[in-house]
Amino acid sequence: MKSIYITICLFLCVTFTYGQEKFLTKQGEVSFFSSTPIEDIKAENHQVLSIIDTKDGSLAIAILMKSFMFEKSLMQEHFNENYVESDTYPKAIFKGKIKDFNSLNLNTNEVVITGDITIHGVTKSIETKAKLIKTADSLLLNGTFTIQIADFDISIPSVVANNIAENLNIDFKLNHNPYNK
Amino acid sequence: MNKKTKFIVLGSVLILTFIMVLLVVIYNKPHTNVANSKADITLTAQTILNDFENDENNANAKYLEQIVEISGTISTLSINDNKGIIALKNEGSLGTVMCHLTPEETIKFKNLYTGKPVIIKGICTGYLMDVILVKCIIK
Repeated sequence: MKSIYITICLFLCVTFTYGQEKFLTKQGEVSFFSSTPIEDIKAENHQVLSIIDTKDGSLAIAILMKSFMFEKSLMQEHFNENYVESDTYPKAIFKGKIKDFNSLNLNTNEVVITGDITIHGVTKSIETKAKLIKTADSLLLNGTFTIQIADFDISIPSVVANNIAENLNIDFKLNHNPYNK
Repeated sequence: MNKKTKFIVLGSVLILTFIMVLLVVIYNKPHTNVANSKADITLTAQTILNDFENDENNANAKYLEQIVEISGTISTLSINDNKGIIALKNEGSLGTVMCHLTPEETIKFKNLYTGKPVIIKGICTGYLMDVILVKCIIK
């Protein structure tokens, strides 16, 4: 009988600490920007899911392609139907790690993130710098990186090739809070 | 200039102008106005959550980019960047239906409270632990 109580206690302890180790946001912001002499294109997504495991600093991000909002509905339509083919590939995924996460202190830190990003069914390794502002109950991850459209097997028709930059700047702002089930 | 050339020149100018206007209209095509559009699918929070939890691919094919009208009970209310977010709960699932409101609709927040039944119309963009709706309005 005693052993059952001990098991239950241990289980509760484990789940309790488990809950404290994950930081999460469901309203992360990711936006990208393409600038050419002809036009600027910007799209914003405010429904990004991001999870940091504070045990080892691993980071997982999931993005719905259809949640990117453009200024012009035609751009949004082309983006979804012709470029990222969001019916076939509805999500972009990042899986990686924040380097030396356990040695970070409370305050602003410059961190390096490494991992694999999957867009349009194509996976690429990336490494980028970011800013991590750490408080007792939040982890704010902020930064910018660049991707090449061609790397992700996305073909831009020559008619609009001059309107869309070959490299996109991607901004992210992910404000994580402790995850309580 | 004879009559024939005049006719051709005038004709081409008219056609070109028409094409230009058409292109500008297409380029500036407005976004779907959720408030003025009829819902493609009307259902409960429970149903849409079950559909996504059971078979995400199937549910994606059915709901993505559709205007859905969902009835449910408010589980949480929050405001992020002047935009309100309403989560509709479902007994027995971990996820919720997360409805992201337009800034204009967020004004209606003062009449809302946890536990209140509501009907929300928005565009479904997919499933990430929760079913996500954007550009939502409260009916």
